[in-house]
Amino acid sequence: MNLSRRELLERCAAFGALTLVTQLPLSALAAEWDDAEKKRQPTPFCELGPFYKREAPNTSTLRKPGDSGMPLTVSGVIYDTRGEIVPHAKLEIWQTDNDGHYDIEGYRYRALLNPGAKGSYSIDSVMPGHYPTRVCQHVHYLVTAPGHKPLITQLYFATDPVFDGDPDKNYKRDPLISSRELVRPVVIKGDPKQIIATVNFDLVMETL
Amino acid sequence: MRTLTRAALVMLAATSLIAADKPVATLQLPCESQYQDLSPTGNQLAVHCKGGGLRLLEVPSGTEQRAFPPEQHASSTVYSHDGNWMAFGFDDGSVEVIPTRGNGASKRWKPSSRRIDALNFFPDSKSIVVGPVDSPAQVWTIADAPTLRATLPFTFGGMTDSAVSPDGKIMVLAGDDTVLRWYDTSTWKPINDNRDFLLETFAVSFTPDGKQVLAGGADSRISVLDAATAKIVRQTPPEPGAYIVGLEVLSDLPRVATLYFDDAGEKSPHGLLWDLADSKSAPMGNGQVPTCGNQVGNKLWVCHTEGQKIIITAYD
Repeated sequence: MNLSRRELLERCAAFGALTLVTQLPLSALAAEWDDAEKKRQPTPFCELGPFYKREAPNTSTLRKPGDSGMPLTVSGVIYDTRGEIVPHAKLEIWQTDNDGHYDIEGYRYRALLNPGAKGSYSIDSVMPGHYPTRVCQHVHYLVTAPGHKPLITQLYFATDPVFDGDPDKNYKRDPLISSRELVRPVVIKGDPKQIIATVNFDLVMETL
Repeated sequence: MRTLTRAALVMLAATSLIAADKPVATLQLPCESQYQDLSPTGNQLAVHCKGGGLRLLEVPSGTEQRAFPPEQHASSTVYSHDGNWMAFGFDDGSVEVIPTRGNGASKRWKPSSRRIDALNFFPDSKSIVVGPVDSPAQVWTIADAPTLRATLPFTFGGMTDSAVSPDGKIMVLAGDDTVLRWYDTSTWKPINDNRDFLLETFAVSFTPDGKQVLAGGADSRISVLDAATAKIVRQTPPEPGAYIVGLEVLSDLPRVATLYFDDAGEKSPHGLLWDLADSKSAPMGNGQVPTCGNQVGNKLWVCHTEGQKIIITAYD
């Protein structure tokens, strides 16, 4: 049985499982309930850093054949705080290579993505290395969309050796990590000869 | 990063160009420290302690005047041009301006909830530009109670550096969004910009005559811009594998002292002295690791550490 929110509320009220002390009709209550469950907290801010470069290439493939490092796929959807998909956002991503080096002169491991009406994105990359003056492996994000505040943040990985396997306890070892939420679980997929790390990183923007 | 730059530059230039005189002060380091700020008047040294915390020492006595504990980490510091004031930006978004001598009242306020990454006094020391990380820049007058005069936004991100023309009429802001913006300081309206940079600018400075603006950053070049048009008129060649974090126009322009960080984050900072007339450079420094410096009167004062001591030497 798959009841709508309104049908569920009606049934609960009929059987005494729900007591209503409001003048609102059940249809309005059901809509409010649904909205409340869809609401999302904005993605925590994490600073831009010094190696942003404008005019990155429009590509989702950052990893080239032969690149060293653990293959990595990051994907997600861009939402607003009401839980609605943000269409036509512009997503800029940059990271170090496997050796912890940013490409300043060129655009390796830099990408501009246009998630379109569905708001979803995916990149093929490698697990970034440790940049010497930073503590943790990270991927930079700059997300812009009409009518929304620019979102500047960074993605971190729960498998980072810095966390000693316990990011809940140790995520503050990197003083720039503003929230545990930015440290994402890593799922290893593929066969033994071609494994790949996958991470989901949804982004939530605030409206202006 | 930015707190290192200006002082280190002056000192790097000094050590390569000018014969050393005898030390003017030898102070006991109150903590392990890799860099310090020396006041333009030479009467105070701000010691940045490794692991956090800041100690203000009187020069030459070494008497501790004030201590900021590690938990009250100063993320940025700057002396006013006349050396009478010092400003601190803190991780919690607060700014404090204190007199460097006398019993004047210090002022502390909280312009932002975000860390203060950049500060710059106006030439008259009555106003200060505050740059919270990834937030609009703010201009405050501080002659009386701190009063917000202008909020200057970027497309995204925050301020990386700022410079005010010698006559105080124009301010140039460098932003994370890679744009250099010109403002009229009487109206705070934007009057010009330059959007030619693909990478961030970390250091901007007016030439002493106010006719040109020098910019340096992640592209590792010094760009010379016409202050009237905001157009780039020439650039030095890039310095591969490095990026500019500070530049100081020497009084005998066209020479510019430039401090570079290694973009791989592995090597020590290094300095180059550029002659903009012929775009040639020479290395600065004589092997000693300088930790602070400033122009004090008509001399350059330079610091280096030996064990637990910091030695300040004057150069003619």
